[in-house]
Amino acid sequence: MSGCEYCDNKSEKGRKNSADKNAATIALLGQPNSGKSTLFNALTGLHQHVGNWPGKTVEQKTGTFTHNGKSYTIADLPGSYSMSANSDEEVITRDFITSDEADIVCILADSSQLERSLFMLADYAGINVPCFLVLNMADVARQQGKQINPQTIEAKLGVPVMLFSAPDTKSYDTFYETLECALRDKPYLNVSTLENEYKNISGYNEIVEILSENDRHGYTPMWLAIKAMEKDKVVLDSLKNTLSLDRFNRVESLSNQSGGAIATGSAKFAWIDGILNGAVNKADVKKSIGKLDRIFTHKFWGKPAVVLTVLIGLIASFIPAMPLMAAGMGIGALKGPVLTGLTAIHCPTFLSSIICDVIIQSMGFVVQMLGFVFGVTLVFGLLEEVGIMARISFVFDNTMGKLGLQGKSVMPFLVSFGCTMGGAAGARVIDNWGQKVLTIALAWAVPCGATWAIVPMLSTTFFGAWAPLLIAVILMIMVLHIWITGKIFSRGLVKAEDRYGMIMELPPYHKPKWGSLMRYVFGRTKDTFFRVTKVILIVCFVFWLISYSGGDAQESFLAKLGMLIEPVTKFFGMPWQLFIAFIASSIGKEGAVGVLSALYSGSGSVIAATSGAAVAANINELLLANIAKPEALAFIIAVTFNMPCIVALAATYQEIHSVKWTALISIYYTITALLLAFAAYHIGLLIW
Amino acid sequence: MSLSDLKPNTEAIISGINGDARFISRITSIGLTPGCRVTVIKNDKNRPVLMYSRDTMIAVNRRECADIRVSEINA
Ligand SMILES: Nc1nc2c(ncn2[C@@H]2O[C@H](COP(=O)(O)OP(=O)(O)O)[C@@H](O)[C@H]2O)c(=O)[nH]1
Repeated sequence: MSGCEYCDNKSEKGRKNSADKNAATIALLGQPNSGKSTLFNALTGLHQHVGNWPGKTVEQKTGTFTHNGKSYTIADLPGSYSMSANSDEEVITRDFITSDEADIVCILADSSQLERSLFMLADYAGINVPCFLVLNMADVARQQGKQINPQTIEAKLGVPVMLFSAPDTKSYDTFYETLECALRDKPYLNVSTLENEYKNISGYNEIVEILSENDRHGYTPMWLAIKAMEKDKVVLDSLKNTLSLDRFNRVESLSNQSGGAIATGSAKFAWIDGILNGAVNKADVKKSIGKLDRIFTHKFWGKPAVVLTVLIGLIASFIPAMPLMAAGMGIGALKGPVLTGLTAIHCPTFLSSIICDVIIQSMGFVVQMLGFVFGVTLVFGLLEEVGIMARISFVFDNTMGKLGLQGKSVMPFLVSFGCTMGGAAGARVIDNWGQKVLTIALAWAVPCGATWAIVPMLSTTFFGAWAPLLIAVILMIMVLHIWITGKIFSRGLVKAEDRYGMIMELPPYHKPKWGSLMRYVFGRTKDTFFRVTKVILIVCFVFWLISYSGGDAQESFLAKLGMLIEPVTKFFGMPWQLFIAFIASSIGKEGAVGVLSALYSGSGSVIAATSGAAVAANINELLLANIAKPEALAFIIAVTFNMPCIVALAATYQEIHSVKWTALISIYYTITALLLAFAAYHIGLLIW
Repeated sequence: MSLSDLKPNTEAIISGINGDARFISRITSIGLTPGCRVTVIKNDKNRPVLMYSRDTMIAVNRRECADIRVSEINA
């Protein structure tokens, strides 16, 4: 099973060569749910890097590990069920494999659904890069009563084949052995029997002949011919550029008559049948759904059941997240003592203000946020591991599809009622970049917990018994906002071809693998920490610069600017104090009331108020004395639909890796909040 | 008869698939090809159709299921 009949000498154990920085690069290829992430996480642990593929909006996951003194790089390749150019992901995967960067391709298949999941191998066949095959989920197959003989498969394929259970730490010795052996021998897949199947497709022979003179690095004429027949856009485009016109036309017309992907797909499955023949006994897998699925996929109860599961999960996630959030608040509370200390040693005021209001404050924000990221990543990761996420996609596919989103996108929306930052972090589960950005952009319109902490209070102060009506109006605006924003943003983000309905596997439920899940969650939290700290520090510092006054809040640049442009902001129903509170609410909404308190009572600084300094005791009277009802209405609406906070901004940037789109979304929200305020103010003027 | 017409717990064999190249590429890559056996598990309005095929539970959007022709196997 180790495949070591392919190598003559045993592995050179213990050979340590520090100059050998990267012994080999491994490309990990497999269909969704084949266990790629589990294997990747187990191999690399915390040595992972998540970024973007150069120049692309697709997430790149690479990691490193060492074994026997050699270090390896491994890339978890994106994509779905095949290697066809149905999206950027598959093209990136193909390009990476054939770029000479990968020394070996590790192809994963699911032993419990071998026939279907070997499709990836069949689609790979014809790419000229050494590979080996890992039949994962061996334990599941065993439970189903399937006996798989990897040697038989190995003999037919000509590359090492091993049975494997990715979560089982004991099976990794075999994995390393197979890997080392494959790296030494560089075995290529034997495709002759597959080619025989293809030869039965009309036109195949002639296309191969035309393409055989036209070499494309890494791809055999067989592979290119098959992709041409499947009308693979990228392959056809490149053939158009390299073949003479009449030859290209000939290829095209032959392809059109060939039966396309149906013929080639049937040939691939016929080949797979041949490979499995004699290697797997037939076991009868039951074709009914379990109790849990009967609920989750139920016509009426499906949606409530799914939402309830998510909510329970989120509430439960606060338990592990709580210590971090408390620590964050604890850091914030350090400001007082530190300030006293700094004053005692005669530290210049601006310096102690930077230390307290920028650095300590930012760290407080960041640590609190990590609590959220930790909780949300854990819950979402768990739901995905266990298989519930796929059911959520199924249940909400139709509803979210109307917004151009996948079913899973419902999750970030749910989280955003609590915290937009959590919603943004949770959008990680959406595998299409455009849809991920769109989901976050729309989730920003959901009023978060901090909004709910101040809006009812402000509404009651100004409108008394009418407050519930205002809240109903806010919810209506939210729905409308999401709908319109969806229309505006989806054009640039979600390509028509991604609007296809769902075609996906609902994997069997798996027990969670806590070890690898926790490693993933910690890795993710660590990653977030480093990226987000930068953003938050910068924004806090800029805000500090413009709002620093040394004493009276009215002396700051921001206040002066606010007074200067008051004639304009009055249009939106905001005197300068309200406008500054609105600007401060982009940093954190819970601070908006504090800022008003500081400005109207003339005590305390804007920056301290933004980050939650105490509110004047007579705040209600202060507000009522200074703000007219239409202005209050405008302000409440503006703050509710303003960008959520800098932490959400940072989390958004962390997830979508795009400065441009992060900036676009923030500017859009600032402008729409002002427009809504404008409308609210003028409607208010009519009423009162 | 198309896949979206099948009642739950019926078994059928796929006889043909219509659609553009991209759809066909996606649907074959998940294992649905002509000649392949499917067992429908759930077929509710406003939901994707849920089925078993090649040992796998698969969900396919209703609209697209209408483009998959099947012949029912009588039990
Ligand atoms: N029983 C069992 N479960 C596995 C095995 N490999 C992966 N899993 C589980 O299968 C699910 C999908 O695996 P994942 O690594 O996320 O697949 P990916 O979509 O290919 O990245 C997770 O719940 C894993 O814990 C295995 O060999 N045996």
